[in-house]
Amino acid sequence: MSDHAVTITVNGVERTDSVPARLTLADFLRERLDLTATHLACEHGVCGACTVLVDGETARACLLFTVQADGSEVTTLEGLTAGDELGPIEQAFWAKHGMQCGFCTPGFVMTISELLDENPTPTREEIIEGLGGNLCRCTGYVKIVEAVEEAVTLRGGGP
Amino acid sequence: MSLFGASIRRKEDPRLLRGDGRYLSDIKLHGLVHAVFVRSPHAHALIRGIDSSAAAADPRAVCVLTADDLPDGLPPLPCIDAEETTKPFNQPILATDKVRFVGEPVALLVVEGDRYIAEDIAGLIDVDYEPLPAVSTAEAAVAPDAPLVHFESNVVDVLEYSLGDAESALATAPHTLSERFVTQRYAGTPLETRGVIVEWDEPRQGLTMWSSTQVPHSLKATLVGYLGLPENAVRVIAPDVGGAFGVKLQPYPEEVVLGLACRQIGRPIKWVEDRYEHFLASTHGREQYHDVDVGYDDDGRIVAIRDHAVTNTGAYLQRLTLVEPFIGVSMLSGPYVIEHQQLLSTVVMTNTTPLNPFRGVGHVQAAFTMERIIDVVAAAVGIDPGEVRRRNMFSKDVFPLHRGIGNVLAGEIVYDSGDYPECLNRALAAAEWDEFRGEQERARAEGRYLGIGIGFFVEETGLGPYESGRVRVEPSGQVIVFTGACSSGQGHDTVLAQITADELGVEFDDIVVVHGDTDLVATGVGTYASRSAPIGGTAVRHAAGSIKEQAIKIAAEMLEASPQDLELVDGEVRVKGSPASSVSLAQVAGRVAPGQPLPMGVDNYTLDATDIYHPPTNTFSYGCHVATVEVDTETGVVTLIRHVVVNDSGTLINPLLVDGQVQGGVALGIGGALLEEIAYSDDGQPLNANFMDYLVPAIGNMPEMVVEHMVVPTPLNADGMKGAGEGGAVGAPAAIANAVADALLPLGAKITETPLGPETVYRALQNAS
Repeated sequence: MSDHAVTITVNGVERTDSVPARLTLADFLRERLDLTATHLACEHGVCGACTVLVDGETARACLLFTVQADGSEVTTLEGLTAGDELGPIEQAFWAKHGMQCGFCTPGFVMTISELLDENPTPTREEIIEGLGGNLCRCTGYVKIVEAVEEAVTLRGGGP
Repeated sequence: MSLFGASIRRKEDPRLLRGDGRYLSDIKLHGLVHAVFVRSPHAHALIRGIDSSAAAADPRAVCVLTADDLPDGLPPLPCIDAEETTKPFNQPILATDKVRFVGEPVALLVVEGDRYIAEDIAGLIDVDYEPLPAVSTAEAAVAPDAPLVHFESNVVDVLEYSLGDAESALATAPHTLSERFVTQRYAGTPLETRGVIVEWDEPRQGLTMWSSTQVPHSLKATLVGYLGLPENAVRVIAPDVGGAFGVKLQPYPEEVVLGLACRQIGRPIKWVEDRYEHFLASTHGREQYHDVDVGYDDDGRIVAIRDHAVTNTGAYLQRLTLVEPFIGVSMLSGPYVIEHQQLLSTVVMTNTTPLNPFRGVGHVQAAFTMERIIDVVAAAVGIDPGEVRRRNMFSKDVFPLHRGIGNVLAGEIVYDSGDYPECLNRALAAAEWDEFRGEQERARAEGRYLGIGIGFFVEETGLGPYESGRVRVEPSGQVIVFTGACSSGQGHDTVLAQITADELGVEFDDIVVVHGDTDLVATGVGTYASRSAPIGGTAVRHAAGSIKEQAIKIAAEMLEASPQDLELVDGEVRVKGSPASSVSLAQVAGRVAPGQPLPMGVDNYTLDATDIYHPPTNTFSYGCHVATVEVDTETGVVTLIRHVVVNDSGTLINPLLVDGQVQGGVALGIGGALLEEIAYSDDGQPLNANFMDYLVPAIGNMPEMVVEHMVVPTPLNADGMKGAGEGGAVGAPAAIANAVADALLPLGAKITETPLGPETVYRALQNAS
């Protein structure tokens, strides 16, 4: 199987590598770059645990091949906020107990980050609509919704 | 102020929110090689031969193991709750001459490279199967000419309990009803699948195995036994576990095979299930139907029940498979008196993935069956369902209540504490039962079908046999807590620190909780059966109490006071009545640091205590769920409106976290009530082993949820804790099914099964008389 050169800016750092055509973006991030916050739970694009931002839009890293992301800017949970700081979404998850095992959490945080960037003050219905593609098996989602509402407050209604 | 009972945020979260979790698949070891299992594509087949020569010849292949390569005489993994009469239908470590379900492991391949390459080369392993007739349902499996999964019958075990004389009581009851209530097969499906990394430990001539497991100590014992390794040479570590729900509560054959392979090749191996594999090879739960005959009177009092439950336990008995059929009948009557009961539970094998307990085992089917019975009786006698429950319930004065029925692994059932009528009344009030009736009537006038339903349950929690807790105070005064319980997301680090902080008066942030490592935690049982707070928490409470006693003894010399005159308050040992005379816990710990003579009467250079807590018997949590729904009678679609829970799990350490447990349980119960079913074709082929076709609840499926707690502490442990992890999953299917039945009552539709997907509801409407 032939390898392909790719250049991808991941969390602000330009990465150049040579990858097999079939290597998923999720495996590239996890195995080559050691960015293990991007979790694999279904690997068929349903659960959203592997959600990352590609050029600012959410994407399922399990369904994208690395070569498809060539030339893109990719953001993972590790790159969402600088250093050890917790951003407003993460703070809100902590405050509202929006997580239990934490496996789905990075995908939710990435999806919420896009949601709030596009719509800084979503209604409850818009939150539910916006998170419809992420599965959580622990929380029953109640406290995830509360966490999004808390994040809206922490962000002061702005982006 | 003590943090015990406070809704504080979790210790665990900042790390996980930064992406610094360490789940199984995140662990990297130098020289890691990758494993894949070759699994049976047939539900039932003879293995005529395995040709792995092409795979083995690939330069990247490191090893191939089939049953022939395993040590001779390796026994199958045991079913620890088997009875004398249980037939030995246990799963071999790798299939030998026969496979009995799709997904049964047949061979292990280990390669250099990655998972992609491992799967490529696994395709070269040629297994010659001779397919046999297969059977996938319990009904088909007990038919006279059914294909036989193992021996001369597919019935493995029959269990009987009885109270009073149900035969006579049924014969003389004013009214009787007979019905079959069916709970489908579904599963915990944690977001993180199972996975293992195992490394040969050369200095110890043993293994370190990381596994996404709920039971590290049990896995260690299994590896010691199967590999014949010294007990001090095996270390098992459960890293961050991404959900478990019972699916990870037993050692699995894969773990044994990977241990054997690692010893053979001396290199670290990684294996992680993919989702398809998880659906096939990780245990399922529930599938059980109840044929009931019920006798009742004009007042809605149930005088007798005869129940024959049949459970499809799949192709092999796993470690605790029999809990499902046993609890399904032994906990049938829940909070209700029912003087005469004849309970029969038949365990049937089929060519499907084995069952093992998951969140709410047996109780889900028991509550669904019993609560549906109550509503059918209520409708028949024309009395409000809440009132019929009140008339049949035990009063709050009966505890401890000996039920006169045995229970697997737990001895006799003795309900410890509670107030069922109060719980019911509070739930009905929170659900605005009477007001809803008005709303329902108005909606019906518009041709809309709203319904309200109750799901009351009593649940065996806080299962023994024991759990360990150890508390160590460092010379700095900082504290490490070690627990044999093992978190898969519940928040052990937080709540055990709350207990310790409460007992010792030390700062919450000065406490670290360690779990999931058999080298660091000498003994333990693990996390399941809603046991970590009542059993693990009590062990920690006791260990911290011993620290307190030791500290006072040491401080007595330092303060030149008698131990009886001292108390430990806010992290200081003080002279009672003169708090100025005190030493901090750090000073006390420093006083027994090595390098100096010990105080008089103290014989250890540590401030360290362990407790192994054996509960006298189980606790019994309970709760009342009230669901409201709207049913679209044209499409059969059920929409959940509101879900109310009033739950008694005893004393709450952290109400925020208990709310989370209940809400998550309800979501799982909603899945069981409406969405989730693992489907097989008649010949045992799985039909929906993926998240596209197997529907777990998404955020849009959730109703408005109200969770309230009532607290009747159990007298069985120091803090009065009863266990909170599973009840949400138990009450929800019963409440939702009753709400759907209530909505459709005027149309005469019979609701007797879950999941209540559109097709099932539509069919019930079509069949309505």
